[in-house]
Amino acid sequence: MATSLDEPAAPARVDPAARPRRVRRSRAARPWLLLAGPLLVIAGLLLYPIVRVTVLSFQRYGLKEVISGKPEFIGLDNYREALSGDYLWKTVLPNTVVFAAVAVAGTVVLGTLVALLLQHLGPRLRALVIGSALVAWALPAVTGTYVWVWIFDPDSGIVRRTLIALGMLDPEGFNWFTDRLSFYAIAVLNVIHHGYPFIAITIFAGLSTVPEELHEAAKLDGANAWRRFWSITVPLMRPVFAVVTILSTIWDFKVFAQIYLMPGGDGSNPDVFNLGVWSYVSSINQNKYGLGSAIAVLLTLVLLVITMIYVRALFREDELQ
Amino acid sequence: MTRRSSPAARIGKAVAVTALLAFTLFPIYFMLSTAFNARAASGTDALLPTHWTFEHFTTALTDGHFTTYMTNSAIVTVVTVLVSCGLALLGAVAMARFQFSLRTTVLVMILVVQMLPAEALVIPLFLQMKDLRMLNSLGGLVLVYVAFSLPFAIWNLRGFVAAVPRELEEAAYLDGCGWWQMFRRVLLPLVWPGLVATSAFTFVMAWEEFTFARTFLNNEERMTVGIGLQHFFGQNVNDWGGLMAASTMVTIPVVIVFVLAQRRLGSGLVSGAVK
Repeated sequence: MATSLDEPAAPARVDPAARPRRVRRSRAARPWLLLAGPLLVIAGLLLYPIVRVTVLSFQRYGLKEVISGKPEFIGLDNYREALSGDYLWKTVLPNTVVFAAVAVAGTVVLGTLVALLLQHLGPRLRALVIGSALVAWALPAVTGTYVWVWIFDPDSGIVRRTLIALGMLDPEGFNWFTDRLSFYAIAVLNVIHHGYPFIAITIFAGLSTVPEELHEAAKLDGANAWRRFWSITVPLMRPVFAVVTILSTIWDFKVFAQIYLMPGGDGSNPDVFNLGVWSYVSSINQNKYGLGSAIAVLLTLVLLVITMIYVRALFREDELQ
Repeated sequence: MTRRSSPAARIGKAVAVTALLAFTLFPIYFMLSTAFNARAASGTDALLPTHWTFEHFTTALTDGHFTTYMTNSAIVTVVTVLVSCGLALLGAVAMARFQFSLRTTVLVMILVVQMLPAEALVIPLFLQMKDLRMLNSLGGLVLVYVAFSLPFAIWNLRGFVAAVPRELEEAAYLDGCGWWQMFRRVLLPLVWPGLVATSAFTFVMAWEEFTFARTFLNNEERMTVGIGLQHFFGQNVNDWGGLMAASTMVTIPVVIVFVLAQRRLGSGLVSGAVK
């Protein structure tokens, strides 16, 4: 798995100096010719919008400015509005960070446990577990979220009906979606269910590269399974664990549909917003594009820091040159 | 290892597998049992399929407009997959086969733009599409989806292109092929598995995308499946049977793509995400 990301340039077969100048120049231009289309799309639809959102974050840009097309430059006012007061620090940031931490830990731990379990199963059970994990992975985030909302529906959902039938809940019931802790508990369940298959399958593939002899030798030395996992599997699989953890962190920080589609997440219950939803509701729902952009820039900066760690992890593995 | 396990270990394994399968499959089972159940108004009634019906599906397709939504999504998805994979293949060949200045810069840029959150891009893109009068246009949506899927597609395909032995290319040149001929006859067939995996990921992204579709589309005639589902939420009563039937129809194409691409998916992931 630790093979290099790309091979070094093969030595040219023919001494380039011996070739006519025109051929050489066309060869130097060829990668850029191939890259022209993709880079144009990326520049126009990903890089330019990121520049524009940064510019917007320094402007007053509301409904009036949308119509007049003449936004006013207001310096750091949008950032001041976002960063001051308790809302960001007591509500949005904990919602984003604690949720991501719990969801990442849950997904990685469950994914690892499933990968280890797969190693100890016969071919038929293994196919069954992998097959059902694939279906859970294939369940679209949007439909998956609606299924969890249906399961926990405070009125006629199966959890409520069952708990009342068992006498564990008062007949008037309880709305899990208004309380932010239970709201996010359901979101975590949803995200782990959707996210663990990728981790399990990736780690399972990685586990097959760990030499069996190492485990045998450690067993002869009297190391139990727990010890062998931490002393052999984890150090050898460090790059794989690093990649799946960082990727999950990026995904769980910018989770949007899974929150927005839950009752209250679409704007009616500010207690449950995370950074992405707050930015979206401020801009698209409330026409405060400047404020929404400032929040979006903050979210992007957080993700940029995590991505830098990711890129450096890849570089450190000496895979990217 | 299996043959030496003690009875206790075997029971432990059985319990673990059962619990895992229950957690993994319950939401899917519950979606299906609600979709096919005439008494879908209550969770406990919907659990067991006692009153079979296809009514929720027909309602979703007619009153729920799902025929329109599925057609729109299919158009958007197919065009996105074709354009994105075509462009990504060109980019992947450039990244894997050529040495040029700024190559590492382009590579890191491709890696970094993958993390850009849709929530940040949606604000400027919404204003832009509004200015260009491209809201409610499926073409505008395709454009954004191509851009969104391209970095990962290039990254993923790059590994597959790099894995094709250079000697095969050289042999084609020696046989008198030009670059395009070599590309079509040698490289393309060998990278095909990579294209299958990349198409699968792009397909899934475009088929179920929510954020941009929710922002760009407000005309019923133009909506895609990702946002069509919210129409089953009523003012007072939610049509859970219809919602779950429509959800089932949205899920089926994705499951089919996953099953078809399954073997390639694994290799694609390992080479794309890990290697």
